[in-house]
Amino acid sequence: MTDEALAVTQSLVEDFAERYLESLGGTIEKRGDTWEVTIPDNNDTELPAGSLSLLSDAGRDKDSAGEPLHPESEFFQRILREAAERRPTGKIPIEADRDDVAIPQWIKEGDVEVSEIQFTPYYDRTAIVVLFEVSIETVSEYQQELLRAIAIDHRSEQRLPALEETFLQMTSIPTNSSPTTTELSLSRSDARSLLGTAQDQLMQSIQNEIDEVHNEASRAADAEVEEYRQLQQQRIQELEEERSKLSSKIDELSEAINSSDQNDRVEALKKRKEAKAEYEEVDSELRTLHERRDQGFPQKQEEIRKRHALDIRVTPLTVTQVEYERGELDIELVEQGVSRTVTLGYGSGIGTTDTVQCSSCDSVLSVDNPLKTVKGSLQCRACSSSNE
Amino acid sequence: MGSYDLVDVEVTHESADDILDSLSGDGAEEDHLQTIQAVRLQAGQPDSELRSLKELDENSVKLLEHQVDAAYRALFEMDGKALLADEVGLGKTIEVGMILKEMHFRETDESVLILTPAQLAKQWQAELREKFGLNFVCNYDDEFEDFDAHDYIIASIDTAKSERHRQTVLNRDWDVLVLDEAHYVKNEETDRYDLIDRLSYNYAFFLTATPIQNELTDLYNVVSLLRPGLFGTRDVFHQYFVNSNQETLVNRDELQDRLNKVMIRNRREDTDIDFTDRTIDTRTFNPTPKERELYQAVSDYVKGAYSQDQGQKLVLMLLQKEVVSSPVALKKTIEKRLYDQSELTHADELESILDLIDEIDTVTKQERLLDIVEEARDNVEMGRVIVFTQFRATQQDILDRLAAEGYTVHAFHGGHSSSEKELIIEDFEEEGGVLVSTDSMSEGRNLQFCNMLVNLDLPWNPMRVEQRIGRVHRIGQKRDVFIFNMALKDTVEEYVLERLYHKIDLFQQSVGELSSILSRLEESGTSFEDQIFDRLVNADSEVDLENDFEAMAVDLQEQRELADKLEQFNNGVFEGFDLGEGDD
Repeated sequence: MTDEALAVTQSLVEDFAERYLESLGGTIEKRGDTWEVTIPDNNDTELPAGSLSLLSDAGRDKDSAGEPLHPESEFFQRILREAAERRPTGKIPIEADRDDVAIPQWIKEGDVEVSEIQFTPYYDRTAIVVLFEVSIETVSEYQQELLRAIAIDHRSEQRLPALEETFLQMTSIPTNSSPTTTELSLSRSDARSLLGTAQDQLMQSIQNEIDEVHNEASRAADAEVEEYRQLQQQRIQELEEERSKLSSKIDELSEAINSSDQNDRVEALKKRKEAKAEYEEVDSELRTLHERRDQGFPQKQEEIRKRHALDIRVTPLTVTQVEYERGELDIELVEQGVSRTVTLGYGSGIGTTDTVQCSSCDSVLSVDNPLKTVKGSLQCRACSSSNE
Repeated sequence: MGSYDLVDVEVTHESADDILDSLSGDGAEEDHLQTIQAVRLQAGQPDSELRSLKELDENSVKLLEHQVDAAYRALFEMDGKALLADEVGLGKTIEVGMILKEMHFRETDESVLILTPAQLAKQWQAELREKFGLNFVCNYDDEFEDFDAHDYIIASIDTAKSERHRQTVLNRDWDVLVLDEAHYVKNEETDRYDLIDRLSYNYAFFLTATPIQNELTDLYNVVSLLRPGLFGTRDVFHQYFVNSNQETLVNRDELQDRLNKVMIRNRREDTDIDFTDRTIDTRTFNPTPKERELYQAVSDYVKGAYSQDQGQKLVLMLLQKEVVSSPVALKKTIEKRLYDQSELTHADELESILDLIDEIDTVTKQERLLDIVEEARDNVEMGRVIVFTQFRATQQDILDRLAAEGYTVHAFHGGHSSSEKELIIEDFEEEGGVLVSTDSMSEGRNLQFCNMLVNLDLPWNPMRVEQRIGRVHRIGQKRDVFIFNMALKDTVEEYVLERLYHKIDLFQQSVGELSSILSRLEESGTSFEDQIFDRLVNADSEVDLENDFEAMAVDLQEQRELADKLEQFNNGVFEGFDLGEGDD
């Protein structure tokens, strides 16, 4: 489960199911825990047209007849699968809400009051937000599934992390003001190009997760290689012992050949021949093993490492074109009768796009080092406190 | 341990063509929002919540916070592969019960195999059924066919690894594997280790209070079975985490981080378990001369008959137990053998035993029981006492006698239906008096409202004794508990009680401690009951018998001390580790 995923609770299930059924033109009549649903003929769904009784979670233990509706119920899974594939592309506008301008943290956390704020949009901008499913798999670790949103500005091809946040908020359930989506107006080639950029940005953003799994997998592979090496070393020792035994046996037999009579000699010669053949066989296996050991068992290592390789699969699931406005934000700051207006680049859904520096020390104002005073000039907390 | 870079990373970007095709598709545009939400909901599943908790019957099982937490972490944070290593007595079985219940609820448990030491298999079966409503077949059940014939199996690990069953066990893909007393697989050269190593399963839960038996690398072996590679190679583990004298762990922070991915260890001091005191009063009585004569006759008969035909072991064992329980119990069994089963070989001996039974007019235990019940009437709330016996005939005899003496009595045995049992317990709680119960009570009933228990006779299986005591002395018991043990002098019962049970301090063991002693004993291969019986029938003289029991006691005590030592050692090793309840 990732930040982007929505925790599946019963209320979300009911909220989603209700809106989905209504979007198919269905009607719902609620009687306690039972929903009487009528679904019309609709090409968009494979749900059968007609009447249906749904039983919400609270009615689960009762004997009432009806299709259960809860997070694991077959019905909910079915509409979820259907909805997930229904319309993977679309457009969402983010209109600048004059009353809800995001004031930068370096002002919010500071000591100066905001007396007026004014956003003047100059132009419309387009971005895309892609929801990616990423699965990271290797034999020794559990498969990880991530869902990540990546926002890319159409013109600059820059990543817009703040817009990702806004997008996730806007598409949560329940939403206070559900955005109206319309058809995506990007050309196929533009969309494809932006998708490529989003993929690159995605890979950068999940690098830490990949590294972690990569380390674990490498460690597991290493353990396996080491075990194999020890096993082979053990085999080498066994073979060496066997070879030494055979060698002694050959020596003994040679002695017997020299000192015994004809019959025994023939027998001993036969045995020595067999022992020598066996010796050769063991010796040859040993040589091969030594050689492989000296090279570090490259073939086996390769095989083990291949088996432990990380398989990362990236699947884009939805592409949303987001229309937002860019312009300037005038913020009037007041402190003990002194007022000063700061103008910053601003975008709806992405917040301020400019940074402001302290006029004394040139450090960038931030949530950790916010604005302390506007008297004289804009000064950060660090500078004002050292002046006091 | 530095970072590794030994394996390749292969990235596949799935085609976006299907999505881009929908650019020109028709359809209601507002549906896009629902698609985004559906995708996000899909990623949010499965929701990590113990959904089956509310289905549990609070009367059957009281869950503690650390147990719920452990089940949650094992399932959702460890992805269903965990080493549950709570200290002794904190309810690891309950944790597994919750896990299995949840998996059952989510239908991810098509096949479950629970491997336990032989003596604990039936106990597991009873607990899972009574507390969690989960029905398992045990390899000791008559209905058990083989490992491919049932989907929910509890078996002794030695049965599973036996030549007869091994291949069947290995041929199957199990959804869930539970391994109790997992430290017995720490040695990678044993058949047990080999079996677990080769088993195919999706989820695994290993239980042990003492993951480390001899040396710290035991931990490596057990953990590596669950999560290969978590510690890297054996050598790396050794070099990095174990200091050279083998007794302490180093780089503990990193080790804790790694262990936290697979191991849960709750400590008693961090939980809210608080048991009241337990007072044990063992009373041995001189049997009447007639009783003594009867005991001797039965013992001689048992010994003689066993030397001729060992196939009769079970029934002979039964007679030996009944003679110290009550003459009526003995009489019933002998009559059955004589008249129903036409026992001919020893008919004369059995007839003469029947004559001896008929001569008994005073049953010592029955008389003395009246003293105890009388004490209870004066000192315990509503005079509530539970009297346990192994035999229905003894039970009936006592009930008749107590009723005749004017006591309020209640009977509880395996013949009652579930709802009848419910009712009997309710009546006992409301009316007080004496509840006389057979060991069928030992399964799953909680009687915390009563704090006085009498063992009129004693099972030769210490687990059964623990189960009896566990009915009253459990979480939720607010008063001190009194246990009375009754035995006749110079009988097998006295040996078992005085020489064996008191040696391992059975009556003072906290829940769970006994399991570790018994499973250690099981390494020797025979069951506790068999060991007692064998000693009894094979001793040549009274002195021999005493010596034999003494030897068994020494062995038991050794096992107990070893178990204690191990527990202390493991506590020392994990001292300061935080592997218990999660932060949130």
